[in-house]
Parts: sequence; C-alpha cells; structure tokens
Amino acid sequence: MKDILNFFIEIGKLKKMPRRGWIINDIKNPESIAEHIFRASLMAWILGSKKNGLKTERLLKMALIHDLCEVYAGDITPYDSVLPKNPKDRKEFMKTWPRLSSVQKLKLSKKKHEKEERALDRLLKSLPLNLRKEIKSLWMDYEKGLTAEGRFFKQTDRLESFLQAAEYWKKYKKPPQGPWWEWAQEFFDDSISLELIEELAKKFHKKLKPKT
Amino acid sequence: MDEKIFYITKEKLQELKKEHEELVEIEHHKNAGESPRVFESEDLNPEFISFQEDMSFLRSRISELNNILENYELIKNPPKEKRSVVGLGAKIKVNIDGKKDEFVIVGTLEANPALGKISNESPVGKVLLGHKAGDEVVISSPIKTTYKIKQIKYEIS
Repeated sequence: MKDILNFFIEIGKLKKMPRRGWIINDIKNPESIAEHIFRASLMAWILGSKKNGLKTERLLKMALIHDLCEVYAGDITPYDSVLPKNPKDRKEFMKTWPRLSSVQKLKLSKKKHEKEERALDRLLKSLPLNLRKEIKSLWMDYEKGLTAEGRFFKQTDRLESFLQAAEYWKKYKKPPQGPWWEWAQEFFDDSISLELIEELAKKFHKKLKPKT
Repeated sequence: MDEKIFYITKEKLQELKKEHEELVEIEHHKNAGESPRVFESEDLNPEFISFQEDMSFLRSRISELNNILENYELIKNPPKEKRSVVGLGAKIKVNIDGKKDEFVIVGTLEANPALGKISNESPVGKVLLGHKAGDEVVISSPIKTTYKIKQIKYEIS
C-alpha cells in the first residue's frame, strides 16, 4: 500500500501543474493538467455514448491516464521546438500554426513519445504488475490510435483543449483563434467531434450564429 | 459497430491481419482455460496487455478487426491519367496562407496529423480531394484558410 500511496501523491501534482499551451499564450491562472483530464473524461463518456460499439469503461480509463506521464515529462506543445525566446517575437509567432518539415514532424513526434514513455514507466514502476501493464497498454492505444476507443479519445482530448482555447479567447481575446481553427480542420475527422465543433463555431464566432 | 469502408495501406493491412491472428490465438487459449505464453513475459507487447484480464474487450477488438478486414479497400497508386489529381495516398506539397507544408492523404485508421498524415474524412482532406496542382482551396468556417496545391505525387509501394 505504501507504493500505491506514493503513486497517488505523485499524480496529485497534476492538480497544480498549469498546461504549457496557455502559459506560452500569457493566459492568467491557466487550467491545470488535472482540470483538463476532468473535462476530457466527461466529454469522452458523453460523446462516446453517441458512438456505436465504444467501450465506455475503456474510454474513461484512457481519459484518466492519458496525461499521467506529464508528472515527469511536463506538458509538451507543438510550438516548443520552434518558439522564439523574445516575448514580442513569440506573440507574433503564436498567430499562426507552426508548419514543420516531414523530417521535423517525425523527429519531434518520436522525441515526445520517448520522453513521455520513459516518464510513464518511472511513474508506474511501483504499481502492481497488472495495473502497470493495463495503464501502459491504454496509453499506447491513445498514443497510436490502435483501437476505436484510442482513436476516438485522441479526438476528444484535443476537443477539450479546443473548447478551452475558445473559452479563453472569449474571456481574454487570446490565444489567437486562427491557428486553432487551421489545426482543427486538419486534425478532426470523427463525425461526433465535427458535430460538436460546428456548435462551438456557432457559439464562439458571432458571424456564424443563427439569426433569431 | 459502424459499417463503412476502411481505406488502408498494404502495411496497415498486414499489421491488422497479424494482430487479428494473435488475438484469435489468445482467445482460443483463454477459452481452453490455458494461459497463453505471451502473457507470462514481463516484456509483453503493451498493445495486447488489456486482453489479459478483459475477455469482453478481447472479443470486442476481434470483432472490430473482423469488421475492418471485411470492409477494407487498399490504397493503391491511381492509373497514370489520374495521378495529377489529389486522391487517397497522394503526397502533396501545399502552401497554406504563405507557409509551406507537406501532407499524405490517408484513411481514418492511419491518420496522424502530427506526422503529416491527414484523414480523407477531415474537413481539409475532404476539400483537397479531386483538386490538381495549382488549385487554391479555401476553408472558411469560421476562419478563412487558403491551401494552394504546389505538387502531387504518388509513391505507394
């Protein structure tokens, strides 16, 4: 039980760890990683129930564990490797989605995956073998989109971040919405996710609101 | 389970067939009350671990794979006269509002935008299909983005 208690203490750190994507956009008091996990889990359950054949228990477990590695790996964003150090240049840079070469994409993706896998192994090492294996397996599924649940949750995870970005934009007029939409139109392909995005567009972008 | 056509590459098909074979074998051992040797190793492929305890998930994954293997279509190089048009498997160079990028159009099972693999079911994938080099495609919901197609190639092995 001592090891399990230590695991709970370690993952508790996520309650106080702000998400890096909001920090680099100068968002005041940004949400924590644990707060993102909370809403992503509910979204996975509720949106997943609209999809035939998805296993809710698997989706929920995946949602709960998907960012645990960030206790040690930190929150890595697509901007990290190319972000200018000067705050003024950085602000300008954040107005567009970072476009990388195929080689850069592969290199960054591999580096991120390896760093996170090492962090997850370190975090899980004191847990009983069966739990360790189950959590690792769920994370691999989420990372690689191996099953219908893995692919669906990957979309839900990003949908939560997309909603949060829209909420911050409404409140603080940042982060810039252009890059988020540019990315979203390439990333999302699930029909339920696309349906929610259509609603999100109507709610947060006045020109698309239906006239009443 | 959704009934649809799954567009996949030859590599993905081989990967799915291999997984299917292995899972059917695991199910067989489980039904016979045996513990497959694959579960006894510390280095067990993490992709199969969930099946150790969860038979219902094992069956559901086999059923998902059956569905894919019964309803797939291989992505192949199109005939020469159609290689100037964006289709599944096309590797395209684009200019997005002045910035260069490179995509491959794939089916949903292989989509990974972080690696430049864009799903044919995503809004961008859908609008690019059928276009030629030199075409400009605009996505305007709700923020306008222009994709100018610079080059189309097919390199499917």
